[in-house]
Amino acid sequence: MECCENMNEIIWQRWQKNATNKASEDAIIHWIPGKDSIRWSFGNLFDAAKRFSVLLKSHGIKRDDVCALIIRHHPDFYPLYMGVAALGAIPAVLAYPNPRLHPDKFRQGIEGMSQRSGLDWILTEASLLAVLKPLVEQKGSTIKGILLPLEQDLNAFDSRDFLLPENITDNDPFLLQHSSGTTGLQKPVLISHSALLDHAIFYGEALKQTESDKVVSWLPLYHDMGLIASFHLPLIWGIPSIQINPFDWVLAPELLVEAISKENATLAWLPNFAYNLMADKIHDEDIEGYSLASLRMLINASEPIRKNSHERFVEKFKQFGFKAKSLSTLYGMAETTMAVTQTRAGQPVFEVKVDRDELSKGRVIIANYNSNARVCVSAGQLIRGCETKLVDDNMQNLGTGMVGEIAIRSVSLFDGYRNYPEKTNAVMHDGWYFSGDIGFEILGEYFIIGRKKDTIISAGKNIYPEDIEDVIGIIKGVMPGRVVAFGQDDEELGTDVLSVIAETILDGETEREHLKMDIMKAAMSIDITITNIYLVPPRWLIKSSAGKPSRNINKERILNMEKKRKGGLNDFR
Amino acid sequence: MISDRFKKAVLKELKLANFDFTDELLANQVPGWDSLTHAKVVAALEREYKVRLKNLEILNCYNIGDLQKLIESKINPAK
Repeated sequence: MECCENMNEIIWQRWQKNATNKASEDAIIHWIPGKDSIRWSFGNLFDAAKRFSVLLKSHGIKRDDVCALIIRHHPDFYPLYMGVAALGAIPAVLAYPNPRLHPDKFRQGIEGMSQRSGLDWILTEASLLAVLKPLVEQKGSTIKGILLPLEQDLNAFDSRDFLLPENITDNDPFLLQHSSGTTGLQKPVLISHSALLDHAIFYGEALKQTESDKVVSWLPLYHDMGLIASFHLPLIWGIPSIQINPFDWVLAPELLVEAISKENATLAWLPNFAYNLMADKIHDEDIEGYSLASLRMLINASEPIRKNSHERFVEKFKQFGFKAKSLSTLYGMAETTMAVTQTRAGQPVFEVKVDRDELSKGRVIIANYNSNARVCVSAGQLIRGCETKLVDDNMQNLGTGMVGEIAIRSVSLFDGYRNYPEKTNAVMHDGWYFSGDIGFEILGEYFIIGRKKDTIISAGKNIYPEDIEDVIGIIKGVMPGRVVAFGQDDEELGTDVLSVIAETILDGETEREHLKMDIMKAAMSIDITITNIYLVPPRWLIKSSAGKPSRNINKERILNMEKKRKGGLNDFR
Repeated sequence: MISDRFKKAVLKELKLANFDFTDELLANQVPGWDSLTHAKVVAALEREYKVRLKNLEILNCYNIGDLQKLIESKINPAK
């Protein structure tokens, strides 16, 4: 396929090609609820990107500068991002702070990123100036300036003044995405031109991507699935993408149905919780007359895939033309640009019923009628350019029928965490990336069943329990450091919710209610919602051999106790 | 001003003992009210007031005060 050959190109050349060959065709459709969408053609988008590039250059941004973009859903975001890349600078999309996120915590996150990534510029909105300004003014800051490019008159800049920097090669870094984490623990992942272009080729093959495809997304662009699958790949493939504001979608998920129906979209990616949310929250009368028949692949990724969520979605939307055969799955991560495995286009999602008890011992045994069975949903087959091996805790290869950590080698592997050699060395060995994901393989189908570490995945977001424990462990009333946080399965929501166990000496009902509120507020300050709070007496938490309260043991203990209780408060005095 | 009825319905759904509600408060500033629980809170308000709140109507509510006004407009359409 002509559109899918990586001839040592750089991304900018591919964009240019699409702007020439498809000048008047839709590139990005910026969705606005209740109003006409704003449509960027490839030609207009490219021209605006060049003008933004000239604008940014006039402020002193140059090649290899890292530019953080902290901007809400805005039609000019896309050419601005492209304009950064066109300078040979490195764009990094960061989340716009949720109002409940404490300004200090937000600033700390940016500061952490600045120290790690060598952040050079922040491109943002006027509303964040006051919060961010101290970062530039403080001693030793790497940040050269904060710009408000969307408030400048773009017409004052001429695209004919644009000059693509010379000598950029396909091995040069193209973008920076952050792998996971909530505050200071985010890992900056550098992706090169060739990693992204190769990914577009190989992943496109797995999807049987064609010129008539159309992507629709509400995913935030700071998330790899939003940035790569829903923004970069369509731009490279030369097909349109419809971009819905994530905040709008959460409140009105029918916007996705509306956009699919009106635009005849064919491809979309969703984290598992979204299947439940859409099945439960959308009223039939609100999507009357809409059709999902055009959707040929709805790809589940970013958190453990649940059979029940797929079933609920199909049951709800089959009357609106959704076809069960459109269900699809993906396993991937920022470090591999995005996808490692994918259900092949046109093939059903593979499921297997295994013996749960054997699985917990690391063995994959197909369940029989006596088994305590667990249904595992496949995340698909390896895409071309990727290879994997399953390893034990000592990085030794495991045989078939075993559960192990998934190590990956890929043509689209990242170039390491930027300025973070110790983290890079911890996960990279002999060209293999050790993902920390636990899974198994049957007949070429990959099943991901957990994480090696205690990372919690809630609503597609990776959360480190340490972040939560740190803010809660210092609350007055909580025994210092005597807290564990963990993910707790919520079948109804189709994702894990967050729970904490905290030791306290407080005994009065009112005091304990206040403490629970303080715990919730502390978690909110880092933009996290705690669903279950278990207050326990001092010395209740069991320590691991390392001397710290063990998350797994204490989780199991509290959940077993909860099972035995019938109703009542989560009070374990 | 946020009514006791509104407040109680939300507190009960979020299993909170108490919380100070103001008109200007944003939903995600209420402990426990986030993207995952939003649908449950709305359903609780619908049950309490026996009204149907459309998602696209809620989308136009900037804060808690707006949401209460939306409910009031459903109960007393003439106002």
